[in-house]
Amino acid sequence: MNEAASVVWVISLPLLGALLATVWRQRAATIGWISSALTAGCAVWLLWVVQHAGVQQLALGGWEIGLGISLYADGLAAVMVLMSSLVVLGCSVYARQYFRAQRQHELFWPLWLLLATALNALFLAGDLFNVYVTLELLGISASALTALGAKRAALRAALRYLVVGLLGSMLYLMAITLLYAAYGTLNAVQIAEALQVNPLGWAALLLMLAGLALKMALFPLHFWLPPAHSNAPAPVSAALSALVVKAAFYLVVRLWFEVFAPLTTPLLANVLGALGAMAVLWGSWSALRAERLKLLAAYSSVAQLGYLVMFFPLLMVLEGEARHWLFGAMVLFALSHAFAKSALFLAAGILMQYAGHDRIRELSGTTQALPLTTFVIALAGIALVGLPPSGAFLGKWYLLDAAFKTGQWWWVLVLVAGSLLATAYVFRLLGHAFGHLPAVKRPIVAATQEMPALALALLATFGLGLGAMSLWSWLAHTGTGAGL
Amino acid sequence: MNLLDGLWGILDLLLVAVLLLLAMAAVLSSDRRRSMMLFIVFGLVLALVWARLHAPDIALAEAAIGAGLGGALLMATLRRDTHQQTDQFPQHPVVLWGAGVLVMVLGTMIAWGLFSVLPTVEQTWRKGAAVDAHLAFSGVSHPVTAVLLNFRAWDTLLELAVLLAAILGIRALGYVRSAYVTEAAFSQLAVWLVPLLILMAGYVLWAGAHSPGGAFQAGALLAGAGILLRLAGYSHAGLPTTRWLVRLGLVAGTGVFLLVGLGLLGWGQGFLHYPVAYAKWWILLIEMLATVSIGMTLTLAFMGGIPQKEAA
Repeated sequence: MNEAASVVWVISLPLLGALLATVWRQRAATIGWISSALTAGCAVWLLWVVQHAGVQQLALGGWEIGLGISLYADGLAAVMVLMSSLVVLGCSVYARQYFRAQRQHELFWPLWLLLATALNALFLAGDLFNVYVTLELLGISASALTALGAKRAALRAALRYLVVGLLGSMLYLMAITLLYAAYGTLNAVQIAEALQVNPLGWAALLLMLAGLALKMALFPLHFWLPPAHSNAPAPVSAALSALVVKAAFYLVVRLWFEVFAPLTTPLLANVLGALGAMAVLWGSWSALRAERLKLLAAYSSVAQLGYLVMFFPLLMVLEGEARHWLFGAMVLFALSHAFAKSALFLAAGILMQYAGHDRIRELSGTTQALPLTTFVIALAGIALVGLPPSGAFLGKWYLLDAAFKTGQWWWVLVLVAGSLLATAYVFRLLGHAFGHLPAVKRPIVAATQEMPALALALLATFGLGLGAMSLWSWLAHTGTGAGL
Repeated sequence: MNLLDGLWGILDLLLVAVLLLLAMAAVLSSDRRRSMMLFIVFGLVLALVWARLHAPDIALAEAAIGAGLGGALLMATLRRDTHQQTDQFPQHPVVLWGAGVLVMVLGTMIAWGLFSVLPTVEQTWRKGAAVDAHLAFSGVSHPVTAVLLNFRAWDTLLELAVLLAAILGIRALGYVRSAYVTEAAFSQLAVWLVPLLILMAGYVLWAGAHSPGGAFQAGALLAGAGILLRLAGYSHAGLPTTRWLVRLGLVAGTGVFLLVGLGLLGWGQGFLHYPVAYAKWWILLIEMLATVSIGMTLTLAFMGGIPQKEAA
């Protein structure tokens, strides 16, 4: 089979799985984890292909670019696909046990695999309208999965999530309409080549940024995230926080640095950075005050996305080698958060099944009862604070370095304050978990639930921290022009 | 000729004005029922606007899906809601004015962007030139169908998956409560209309190869037949009584689309790359099953699933 087929298979496998799981309900869980495992295998294959055979561009249907749709896989896209496939695999193994003997499981698997399809299709899309379609699939499957929480609060959060997601998609769609009216193509590379600095370009850029900021919950548009992410079933929360907001961030990166490169200014980047800084402070502060573990994790996601946006003003002024390193650090930070946050949500799910609640104040004895789960929480905490050897440590280190080099020292203040707050909320959590109870029975927790959480947490800390160097060489595989 | 153009111009202005007024009235009305009715009328006027823009495909889809099925779905929602108080719209003046200002800013921005390039657009590109040039190799002679099922087939495949996600999402919201009163008048109507609707769906599907029509419009007609049957008292609305057959129907369109795409990849043609000689037949096969899936999905969306009690 030729190399370009790997691009098709990472999208088709989860979609096939979703269709099969819809029809053959009795075997949905088996179909689910097998197709996630195969997808993860294909994602590794795709990264290998991009590294050895260069950027893959696939004109679907064999039509010329501009008429047909193209899929585009460079280093960044392949890394994102691998990240998403690994998190989905971890959550799938976990979900088999989690949903056992629950009514929702038959609806969970098809929707879950459709979510995985949408994520991979989005990362590999080379066409701005195709991105819109993947955003729709992503938004609808994500909010339907949130509704599986079944409580009234979950339904309300799911509905709000759906409406906010649709609003974001509409803003994005308006921007595409403008671009198509002006340039007559929907292909990202062709638009990037033709783009002129004029009011239309500005309007399109602002509309897209507004829509995607809503979807990635950038401060002050984060209001929908904490209820949605904290009320969904555990594996769903993990994917929402780790992957779905990250998909919107990925699009912002592509649009900002590649498609709209002539239009972006340091001023606009500083506005984004300032919003990011406020997200860091507000998100971390709210996480510190959160009464429930899942709410803490959700607010912490608001903060972590803020850090990612803070890279923008620094990337705008750096050039050459230094910029390449900082860009890699940003991607590393995103990956580290994806693995750590999914591990944290999975661990929170185990805690909730054991204790029946996730109130932080009442978690005493957790260490005695669930030592491995507590270990996962601690590891994830290390990555969220940004302590070595986690990937987030390297990410923050490069951010710090760039802030000093470019003289934009004020970002350092935010970084320090955010990290201190993160330390506080992680240690507050661990402090309660290590509280001693006289007699605690060891509950029986299925290893299939604890192991995926542990694997993801280890990936976030040791895996990414110690194996980070290859990331930069993967990211070096980018196309000559702009891709999407 | 000039007089005629002038008359059409006045008609267009009138249509746009009515459309804007209907939209505002639908949004600002504090009564849900009136709001909904206005929305359905809005959909019909919008269909006329599309027709005036020489986009008959979109006009058909807007009338059938936007106004027709959308209206039916809204009605079903409202009917389930009648035991609650109906005037619960959050119409705080600050929210309303804030939204108004935001929309004005948005509108100004889009208009500003469009007017900055409109004078130059004609010279830079002509819409659909590439589509016309490749139409002969697409397997169909209607450009819209060629775009949807061949040039941009990947979008359509994913859109079908979106429909699947939507119906699964509706199921995720909980069990179905029967919300309809069977009326004798409907069963008489159903006897006449349902066969006619199925026949029309078949025609619209076939016509899609060379003129406006296609899977989405045909599916909407099938769904219309299903809704009519449901209102006439058939608990399954004409859907199969075996549950796995229903689920098979829901995924048939996406499934065959994907399998054809992957099969062609395995054949050495490339994903979704139909050989020119057989393109017509592949497209027809995909469209037929997509019609079935769309019709079943929309009918099920209206019903909210098959009620547990009546299913026995």
